[in-house]
Amino acid sequence: MASMWPRIIVHADMDAFYAAVEQRDDPSLRGRPVVVGHPGPRSVVSTASYEARRFGVGSAMPMAEARRRCPEAIVVIPRFEQYEEVSRRIMEVFRSFSPDVEPLSLDEAFIDMTGAERLFGEPEAMARRIKQGVREATDLAVSVGVSATKYVAKVASDLGKPDGLLVVPPDSVLAFLDPLPIARLWGVGRKAAPRLERLGLRTIRDVREADRVWLERTFGHLGTHIHALAKGEDPRPVVSSRTRQSVGHEDTLARDIRGPDAAKPWLLGAADRVAERLRAGKFLASGVRVKLKTASFRLMTRQRRLDVPTDSADPLYKAALGILPEFDWSEPLRLVGLTAFDLVGASDPLQGQLFGQDARRKQADLDKTVDALRARFGRDVIRRGTDGRGHDRDGHDRDASDRKESDRKESDRDESDRHESDPS
Amino acid sequence: MELNIRVQELTRALHRVQGIVEKKTTKPVLASVLIKTRGQDRIAVSATDLEIALTGDYEAEVIKEGSITIGAKGLYDIVRSLPEAHASLKRTANNWVEIVCGKVKYRLVANSDEEFPKLPAFSDAAFFSVDAAVVRGMIDKTLYAVSTDETRYNLTGVYCEALARETGLRMVATDGHRLSVVERAMPEAPILKEGVIIPRKGLIELRRILDDAGEGARLAFVDNSAIFESSGLTLTMRLVDGRFPDYQQVIPTAFSRQIRLSRTTLTQALKRTSLLAPDKGQGVRFDLAENMLSLTTNNPDLGEAREDIDVAYEGEPLRIGFNVRYVMDALSVITEENAVIELTDELSPGVFYGAGAEGYRAVVMPMRI
Repeated sequence: MASMWPRIIVHADMDAFYAAVEQRDDPSLRGRPVVVGHPGPRSVVSTASYEARRFGVGSAMPMAEARRRCPEAIVVIPRFEQYEEVSRRIMEVFRSFSPDVEPLSLDEAFIDMTGAERLFGEPEAMARRIKQGVREATDLAVSVGVSATKYVAKVASDLGKPDGLLVVPPDSVLAFLDPLPIARLWGVGRKAAPRLERLGLRTIRDVREADRVWLERTFGHLGTHIHALAKGEDPRPVVSSRTRQSVGHEDTLARDIRGPDAAKPWLLGAADRVAERLRAGKFLASGVRVKLKTASFRLMTRQRRLDVPTDSADPLYKAALGILPEFDWSEPLRLVGLTAFDLVGASDPLQGQLFGQDARRKQADLDKTVDALRARFGRDVIRRGTDGRGHDRDGHDRDASDRKESDRKESDRDESDRHESDPS
Repeated sequence: MELNIRVQELTRALHRVQGIVEKKTTKPVLASVLIKTRGQDRIAVSATDLEIALTGDYEAEVIKEGSITIGAKGLYDIVRSLPEAHASLKRTANNWVEIVCGKVKYRLVANSDEEFPKLPAFSDAAFFSVDAAVVRGMIDKTLYAVSTDETRYNLTGVYCEALARETGLRMVATDGHRLSVVERAMPEAPILKEGVIIPRKGLIELRRILDDAGEGARLAFVDNSAIFESSGLTLTMRLVDGRFPDYQQVIPTAFSRQIRLSRTTLTQALKRTSLLAPDKGQGVRFDLAENMLSLTTNNPDLGEAREDIDVAYEGEPLRIGFNVRYVMDALSVITEENAVIELTDELSPGVFYGAGAEGYRAVVMPMRI
């Protein structure tokens, strides 16, 4: 009975999205193992089709490893424009069901359907109609999970894959979660999982039945967080795209780099792309975060607030430079990323600035011109005269092919949903 | 060192340095006060955080010359709870300090004097006299607008410059969102070749001691320091080493709408409507119509508030948003009952001042709400 539901939250997640789009557009790929990603030696797999997954190939796996596991895999270079186009149509379908749609990425969103029973029927009927809508609009399959919280809805859509439909009513949440392994708890990643297991916590039930105070003492914030999740408690609301929280860009490098000077060109490039996407979404950012991953996969992030919200690359880059001294530069790096957060949307409150208006107006005009040129002739029509180190982009100090071989990942998920690393 | 002193006098001396000594410091000496005898009947009590230094001159009966360096907070807590009107302070071997007051006796661990930082001394300071009450008024009208954002270093103080057209001083403060400028005539021409930025903490201390300052207050600017002297107190402040922005260009010189209204009425209405201002941005909407100003706030989690107030205004309607705190701050330092607001459009800064009051303008940049 839908009336017992305090909220009705849908998590909809496209199945092997990039690969599915490729298979849809190119019939010769159907039924065959497809791996979307750049073929370079250091790049990673963006998406693997279900045929490829049977060989143990998965997202974020180094391409070399993927090819080893599945030599017959067809590697397809990602076509982000096409994925974005398909994504727009998927999100339109979601929005036709509810205004409260929170996209997590191109192929995944939460939809708050609370109060929509009269329009669309019971939760299961809602989920079926959403799946059908996506199928009709894009000819693609989506897995849908429905529950009263974001957390349980997401776990449900994951478990149902592919082409899944799983409804977890509020009174079945504990029975549903209890037997699952702790890795299903948001926030429990590669670092936290072994720590929990050493203490005898293997299933979500173990966490639920553990003493909250003890969990808190042992794991701090993470302890409180996972205890609540294990009980199926997750009060977070669905935040629609109007209040999106961050825009980021990161590059996995073809070759490891060392030291802040080597990271600067990548940060400048990332700032450029992030700024472009901020402008496209009519957002200003009030904060900048730099993310570095060492060759040994240690993730480091540092952030800084901006005194004036911006959608221009320069202030983002300058703020990023200001953070660099805070990092430990002793290890080589394999990934450099920059994220703009604390976004101010076009209709959000915005405090005016007394100083620098003219300079910002000029920069805005320039940005607009660059955006228009790039929209017509492609990204490379305009490049910076400097790469952040005072050298030409194609100067002797850098191999221009670094860029082509590198793998890019556009990340615009809400940061709160990215708990891969251990928050403690 | 050995001396007898009135407890009240010593309490006053120690109270004054409490704001200067560093509370969270790794160098205990920066949390210390230096007490040094001056002749037979006076002592100097000093503290510094290396940016600001305060030395005060107090009455005491000196039995034996010398000095002590001791934690300022601890000593203050002890002295202000002493039971009698008089106490004696005595330095004994190994930096111990003995305080005796009536039947109470304390033995305290002190620091060695050598560790106390050298206090700034300027022999060539050219002082000019100031009216303490005037300077205090100027600080009150500007301090609120100083930026507390350490990354905007050049805005973390009040800009001071000599007036060009008359003998006097101008103080300007801004955090980039609002600006306050005050000008006052002075009895004597300020000896100040170019504008300087006095740090916020220094002004807070100056504001404190100005309450006690009597006749003969004087000010000097030497190298990168400002020195204030009055009633036996010397406050030295290191100036902010930065370039203050071109503030003149952001003070509107023209306006298209002028509103006259009661400052108290507006302040009260803002207090009431601000209760429902959104957490982010604290926006309040001003809807201006003929002889009427409506204030609206809308907090998505709580609800909305609206209050209409009577104003004197004849002109085109205007809708403009402000951070309610910025407007209340600006109004709070206006002393006149009637206030004037000058506006142009929803994107241009608003100007607030007391009716008939020359020499003070608060400029507040609107917010989009």
